[in-house]
Amino acid sequence: MYSRRAFLQTTAGLSFVSLAGGVSPLLARAAELSAGADRNEHVLVVVELAGGNDGLNTVVPFENSLYYKNRPTLGIAKDQVVRLSDQLGLHPRMAALGELFRDGRVAVVQGVGYPEPDRSHFRSMEIWHTASTQKQPPTAGWLGRLLDTAPGANDTPFAGLSLTSSLPQALRADKVAVPVVAQLQSIALGTEGASPREALVRKLATSFRDPKGSGGAGPVDFMQRQAETVYRAAERLKDAASRYRSSTDYPDTPLGGQLRQAAEIINADLGVRVLFASQDGYDTHAEQADTHAELLGQLSEALSAFDRDLTELKKADRVVLLVFSEFGRRVDENASRGTDHGAASSVFVVGSPVKGGLLGKYPSLEQLGDGDLIYNTDFRSVYAGLLDWLGCPSREVLRGEFAKLELLKAQA
Amino acid sequence: MAAAFFAPLSTAGVEFDRRKAAHLLRRAGFAPTEAELDQAIEQGLEATVEKLLADDSEQEAAFQQAFDSVAGSLLNVADPFQVQSWWLHRMVKTASPLREKLTLFWHGHFATSVHKVEDGELMRRQIDTLRRLAWGNFRELVQAMARDPAMLVWLDGESSTREHPNENFARELMELFTCGIGNYTENDVLEAARAFTGWHRAASEFVFHPDDHDFDRKSFLGKSGRFDGQDVIDILMQQPATSRFIAGKLLRFFAAPQPSEEAIAEAGRLLDQTQLDIKWFLRELFLSAWFYGEECYRRRIASPVEFVVGTVRALGARMPAADLNNHIQAMGQELLAPPNVKGWDGEQTWINSSTWPARLAFAQGVSILYSENAYGPHLPLEAIVPAHLNEPKSVVDRLAEVLFQGELADEARREVAEFLVKTEEGPNADVFRDDEGFRTDKTRQALAVMLSLPEYHAW
Repeated sequence: MYSRRAFLQTTAGLSFVSLAGGVSPLLARAAELSAGADRNEHVLVVVELAGGNDGLNTVVPFENSLYYKNRPTLGIAKDQVVRLSDQLGLHPRMAALGELFRDGRVAVVQGVGYPEPDRSHFRSMEIWHTASTQKQPPTAGWLGRLLDTAPGANDTPFAGLSLTSSLPQALRADKVAVPVVAQLQSIALGTEGASPREALVRKLATSFRDPKGSGGAGPVDFMQRQAETVYRAAERLKDAASRYRSSTDYPDTPLGGQLRQAAEIINADLGVRVLFASQDGYDTHAEQADTHAELLGQLSEALSAFDRDLTELKKADRVVLLVFSEFGRRVDENASRGTDHGAASSVFVVGSPVKGGLLGKYPSLEQLGDGDLIYNTDFRSVYAGLLDWLGCPSREVLRGEFAKLELLKAQA
Repeated sequence: MAAAFFAPLSTAGVEFDRRKAAHLLRRAGFAPTEAELDQAIEQGLEATVEKLLADDSEQEAAFQQAFDSVAGSLLNVADPFQVQSWWLHRMVKTASPLREKLTLFWHGHFATSVHKVEDGELMRRQIDTLRRLAWGNFRELVQAMARDPAMLVWLDGESSTREHPNENFARELMELFTCGIGNYTENDVLEAARAFTGWHRAASEFVFHPDDHDFDRKSFLGKSGRFDGQDVIDILMQQPATSRFIAGKLLRFFAAPQPSEEAIAEAGRLLDQTQLDIKWFLRELFLSAWFYGEECYRRRIASPVEFVVGTVRALGARMPAADLNNHIQAMGQELLAPPNVKGWDGEQTWINSSTWPARLAFAQGVSILYSENAYGPHLPLEAIVPAHLNEPKSVVDRLAEVLFQGELADEARREVAEFLVKTEEGPNADVFRDDEGFRTDKTRQALAVMLSLPEYHAW
């Protein structure tokens, strides 16, 4: 059969698009700024668990009989969990994350959510991505707004970067173009001598204004800006990949690949402030146990590898990673040995700058809201704590006042 | 019957010219050949639209026959890649591009993914159902999708029982398939889930299990009764929110990426008046002056399928369907595998640092198609640019006519013309005129350049 893999192999040796036309003044300026950039800038890596992660089976309240009552087939036995405290334990497949927790590098924020929880994936994702519960949320996401307010973010194509296959709403910005690098290695933008055709493609893709005179808002303008970002980004990323040397073995999983790319990029000091990764598959309505175990195992292994890598690359002290999902799941399991969409759940904040431990309060399994756990920490308090650490005005970015959660060690 | 908002182009005193015809045939299909454009101009708007909406049962039968002759032998129907490629082949070859385009639209609407269904044949059957009911009544389509085996796997209907209703399908039915979010309560989701209990499948057929069905009373959207799934859908079809929601989606796919509130409201009213008759609605839309106006014309960004299938059709190129499929996937669109139940977001999200280079790779790939084999990859270059055109300007103007109906900025034409005569020793118009090999090679390269222009992807 003619497979995709075979296709990629046969074309891998070809240079689809070479970069030509010399180095633009803009690019030269970016390089200059990046060279002089503050090497100690803090970096936030966000990992989204798409589909609604079952928080109850991720951080297990193993002393709570209600948990086992609601989870007759899915409940995780007390002697199986990776202990965090005398009440709570991680899913058995998360031993690696448990080790990081014991080293004080993981904050587990319990009972995170927002008022009037919505059980729609898209609506709830929108709320988390825009940090807004308004019916008409802003078009820019919370990370995009962070970049829009960050000084100098426009001087590098890499202030924000997504490792997912498409741009997440969180990174949509009004002023800054955020590149998406799904496959850093196979982006097929060779930089060796470009042909005249390739040079002309680049010139024409980036040098004409929208013929329809749409004032910069039309589809052609948009594509021109994107094309420009692509060329600039590809040149720099290729360089970043070539400079990355690490002995860390990442798990051969989509998330493992994304976090390895994150390490490459952080290692190259390109002025990146925010990176976004995603792990899909958490919408476990039926036969949850094996799928969920596999996903959490992949997550835990990838986080652990990333932490080791950053330590080896000597970047660990300026990188923090946030793991969130759009909602947890219903307290009682359903008849398909799965769980339906729920509400509050736990959030992980991981990294050497993190003040490790359990934060907030585990939601009651007795007093539920419509069958769901009730939140006690607004997710924007987590964001506010992180924005503060990034040196960004959280009030402006979040468009409101939220109590900052003390997630990080006092800065030296 | 059309409201003033969708007043016909014919009464607006605007000529149905070549650019408008190309616009119609892009949106209601996958881009026209020159011959199709000639025909549209000759026959006029009304006849062209009627032709797009004409009965095509003979062709349907022919495709079915072709499929049957290779299914299970040459074509592995369980393999999603082969089913995807088959569908692309059909898009390229079809004489009813609008039906195929609508099928693609409904696939993005009832977005079911083979990654969970894990059965190419179930997916193919779902696509066949979408195609069969594509331009009939929306109610019928929803009723069919609620019983569709792939859908029953995709949204867990197959495990939903009286004791334990699974709410996945009930929620998406309202949120994404009919009335849209904000037009129902959480309680409506639970009640609707009860109504669909016992709607299961046996292998690749729908089956109703009375023992698993909840026959008790339900309250749903202000009504109450012993509703089953069919009743729930019928109630949803009476909601004004449903016609508005579906009309808005049809507009975004066929007409304007961001239609105004007014356009959506008017379209909702129109769809409501037609009692959710999709063919009737599209006819009014394609005949309207609004459809050819500022809000719509060249305002969308071509999806990977539109870009690839449209280019192959417009150029009359021949490329193996598996190659088309690989190119399209590299551009971020995998048929039978929309990213989630909301379908493809489309528009700006198509373009990023992985997918833009993939588009350029296809532009290059299609422009160099060549084989000595009668069935091999082929680009009919002599039909696109006749050999007697040997001046750079006339070649560029000809390409601009084929690809843009002449709508291309002078600067771009100048740059491409300069490129055509460029040799390693500098510009040489004589070589271009006298050396046919050189001219052919350069012309192919110029074609790749023009297919790479952002303007070409503004669809």
